[in-house]
Amino acid sequence: MRNGVVFILLRGRRPPLVAGLAVTFVLVSICTALVYPLKQLTTVSSLGVVYLLGVVVISTFWGLWLGVLMSVLSAAAFNFFHLPPVGRFTIADSRNWVALGAFLVVALASSSVSELARARAAEAVRRRAEADLTAETAQLLLERAGVEDALASIGRRLAAAFELPWALVALGETSGDSRREALALSAGEARVGTLVVPAGLQGSVVSRLSERVVPALAALLQVALERERLVAEAVQTESLRRSDAVKTAVLRAVSHDLRSPVTAMITAGAAVRAPGVTPHERDELGGLVVEEGTRLSRLIDDLLDLSKLDAHAAVPRLAECSVEEVIDAALAAQPADSMVEVRVDPDLPPVRADFAQVERALANLLENATRYSEGKLVVVRARSVGGWVVIRVVDRGPGIPAVDQARIFEPFYRAPGRTPNVISGSGLGLAIAKGFIETNGGRIRVESVPGQGSSFVVALPAIVEPEP
Amino acid sequence: MMAAAGASGRRILACDDELQILRALKLVLRSAGYEVRTAATMEEALDALALWPVDAAIVDLLLPDGNGVELCRRVREWSAMPIIVLSAIGEEEQKVRALQAGADDYITKPFGPQELVARLEAVLRRASPDPGESVLRAAGLEVDLAAHAVRRDGEELHLTPTEFELLSVLVRNRGRLMTHRALLSEVWGHEYADEVTVLRGQIANLRRKIEPPKGSRKHYIRTEPGIGYRFDPK
Repeated sequence: MRNGVVFILLRGRRPPLVAGLAVTFVLVSICTALVYPLKQLTTVSSLGVVYLLGVVVISTFWGLWLGVLMSVLSAAAFNFFHLPPVGRFTIADSRNWVALGAFLVVALASSSVSELARARAAEAVRRRAEADLTAETAQLLLERAGVEDALASIGRRLAAAFELPWALVALGETSGDSRREALALSAGEARVGTLVVPAGLQGSVVSRLSERVVPALAALLQVALERERLVAEAVQTESLRRSDAVKTAVLRAVSHDLRSPVTAMITAGAAVRAPGVTPHERDELGGLVVEEGTRLSRLIDDLLDLSKLDAHAAVPRLAECSVEEVIDAALAAQPADSMVEVRVDPDLPPVRADFAQVERALANLLENATRYSEGKLVVVRARSVGGWVVIRVVDRGPGIPAVDQARIFEPFYRAPGRTPNVISGSGLGLAIAKGFIETNGGRIRVESVPGQGSSFVVALPAIVEPEP
Repeated sequence: MMAAAGASGRRILACDDELQILRALKLVLRSAGYEVRTAATMEEALDALALWPVDAAIVDLLLPDGNGVELCRRVREWSAMPIIVLSAIGEEEQKVRALQAGADDYITKPFGPQELVARLEAVLRRASPDPGESVLRAAGLEVDLAAHAVRRDGEELHLTPTEFELLSVLVRNRGRLMTHRALLSEVWGHEYADEVTVLRGQIANLRRKIEPPKGSRKHYIRTEPGIGYRFDPK
């Protein structure tokens, strides 16, 4: 109930003055009429109280001045209609003078008390609205991902709460002009932003804004900006930490994987020049240099690709590609003795991708599959599934335990407990495959049943309507 | 191993700024029977070409005073000699531009000597085409141009006229890189030079017919991503 009244007080502002005057006259008449039956029950002089109710109502709704008018009119009507001699403004009994005087004093006092209560209630509601606004602002600023996104909503809420045509919160400094007033949002020494409102607002609204809204908004904005900075820092730290991990892994690889072919080449090169080397031995040593050199070259290419992917520098050159041709090209790069069977759906739609990058990805998957399947057949299947071309590279190798499946695409990750002689790759093949597929808008994952084999699943977005 | 009677006396210019690679190129080409000059910069190469007419040039994509693309363009202003560019992984874009600028083929570093010599022979063959061969044979495939017939291991294959035309162009140019434009112009005509999708469809059909039904690997036609196709039987 109180909330309801308070709501009317704030929302409806003061009802119009004319209505106030009308209500005053009506109330005076009603109260005067009410006193007639009551006179039978008690002494007239104590019935001035009846008018007080009207005085309270009027001063609550229309303020002090109408309350005073109501008090005076009530006193006059009470005197004229009820205090003897009735029908005249004179008073016979001096005790009734006291009653009338006391009534007037009480009426005026309750008028001003009501006015005060009204003002207090209105103030309380404003404060609560401001507190709500601050809470909402805090929520918007701290929940949203970006401070700038939140500012537009905050401006709208602020305008609604203060019944302004618009309000705008901007980061940094903005100056006002003839149509806009700029209120600085500063936290401590630092200027964090500006609250811009229409020019020519009432002084009370501006002072409410600058006293009640600006400090809270400035403080919140500063916290939000600080938080945003910390989050960005944390992200950067995390990526630095991750790239540190990659670098450490690269260094480990450099110390072993890069050095061993170089050592072999130097040794072989020196051995060729030794006296008494037979032609057969020389041939063998030459072969060794070529083999190790090729290995080294592959590793360098892999490291280069990975660092490009890591730095987001591997920008794909997108063009319409036939998946069948990409698979063929990937296959052509495999050793001649690898056992691979290809099953491609005849009506496969083309994909938009970088041919060379997808080819590298598939070649790496094929190489991985043939390496682990130890001579058993590897099957490559390509099908069209709802807007995607799905390529599966299926091997019947030892499979990958569930714990390793999540990490298998990490650079240099090798499942523990594998026999070292099986592994001869750089440890980068799957990481590069994943990088290239994702750069081209595709997805890659692994499905595996330990003991039965693995299936690497690549999905690339199909071009649904091929060019005519 | 690389005895190539046809190569004797043929002159090749090799241009690369890395002296070790130049040395290796010289060794490989000499032992294959070619006469070799080397150049380390684009200017040196252009000077050498002006003074010493060659049958073909091998040019690195990255040169200290320019690049292979520019060199191709400048050579093409006055000569149609075969040019092979040397490219490294990661230089795909440059490679494509060199081919557009008039290079005949490319070879990716690191490469083996056999591969280099095979490419060189293929581009030189274009320079002096075989006179009126009527039956082309390659790795079990027999293309009878006069009879419009194709046989694989003696078994007759049924090709459409377009497929046959496409196959005979590829086989006539075996070992050579045939760009999309070159194939489209020769088989369909110049006005179709950009219809890569049409070409891709016909190649897919042709492959389905000529490649062995089972097994995985394509034995005859190799895809050169973004560039074209090569008839290169394994």
